[in-house]
Amino acid sequence: MTQPSGDQEDRELKARLEKLSVALKGKRSDLQGAAQAQSEASVTRTGQAMSLGFRVLAEFVAGVIVGGVIGWQADLWLGTTPFGLIVFLALGTAAGFWNVYKLAATTSSR
Amino acid sequence: MARTQEDLTVAASDQANDPIHQFVVSPLFSGEMGAASFTNASLFMVIVSLAVTFLMVVGTSSKDIVPGRLQAAAEMSYEFVASTVRGTMGQEGMRFFPFVFSLFMFVIFSNIIGLIPYTFTVTSQIVVTFAFAAMVIGIVIVYGVMRHGSHFLGLFVPSGVPAALLPFIVLIEIISFVSRPVSLSVRLFANMLAGHITLKVFGAFVAMMLGGGAFAALLSPLPLLAIVLLTAFELLVAVLQAYVFAILTCVYLNDAIHPGH
Repeated sequence: MTQPSGDQEDRELKARLEKLSVALKGKRSDLQGAAQAQSEASVTRTGQAMSLGFRVLAEFVAGVIVGGVIGWQADLWLGTTPFGLIVFLALGTAAGFWNVYKLAATTSSR
Repeated sequence: MARTQEDLTVAASDQANDPIHQFVVSPLFSGEMGAASFTNASLFMVIVSLAVTFLMVVGTSSKDIVPGRLQAAAEMSYEFVASTVRGTMGQEGMRFFPFVFSLFMFVIFSNIIGLIPYTFTVTSQIVVTFAFAAMVIGIVIVYGVMRHGSHFLGLFVPSGVPAALLPFIVLIEIISFVSRPVSLSVRLFANMLAGHITLKVFGAFVAMMLGGGAFAALLSPLPLLAIVLLTAFELLVAVLQAYVFAILTCVYLNDAIHPGH
């Protein structure tokens, strides 16, 4: 084995460095891509969770409001103040819970 | 005309910082608001309809095997809604496809066009969303009764309930059915309203902090940054809510086709 000259050593070293830096770059961009994909996925998940939360809220509130309006109008027409409002508000609240239950049952079975 | 220049400036800046002002419906051509006025809301409904028509007509005119951008967008929207309709209602539900597709395209276009500054968001008006929801429920009732007659009422009578509880359950089911158009319309309307108010409030923060002394002015880029993030989030909400509206329409229409659960 002859000693390699300094020139050759330099060239070999440069080639190795280049190879390493290319590999490093590849790895970095991989990592960055993964992080970006993860953050995008988390935004989507937050959005979906928020929309589900909003759905539950809307279903529940709608049940209560509809029950209340029916009771109020029934009282106005039949002159049964305040019993219609009390009964239908209770029924409306039950309907709100029922809506939420149905929603939860369908989403968990999916 | 006793208003001075200063008064007018104050009024204008109040208007600029008022987060609700963007939802005011006002006639475009005549000063008086009447039943037949052409308002900014009407203008944006026309714009949205024209945009949807443009996408579908121009997008499907070329019929390339390798689609261009417009054609790809048109085909994707068709495929997306068609798979949603088939997934929830089955092949039989495709007779409602034109209705669901028009509804979805109108809602998604008005949501997205409304995100552009200085535009009007049609779906942030509860009148509009409630009209859609009432139309959906009207179709459910009319089609359900036409197709199943009195069997459609079986929708309100779940099976396997003790006779003593039945009247209450039926009442609750009826209230639950009536609450559907309310929740359907309120969800879309509230999402769009809340998002636009939030954006406007943060925008007003920037302006107020810039005029609120040196320290506040230094911090004013922070709400601006928040607006950038919120706008991205609002874009997601706009698309997601249009999708939720479409899929719930399908679920409700499915009750008209198969009322027996």
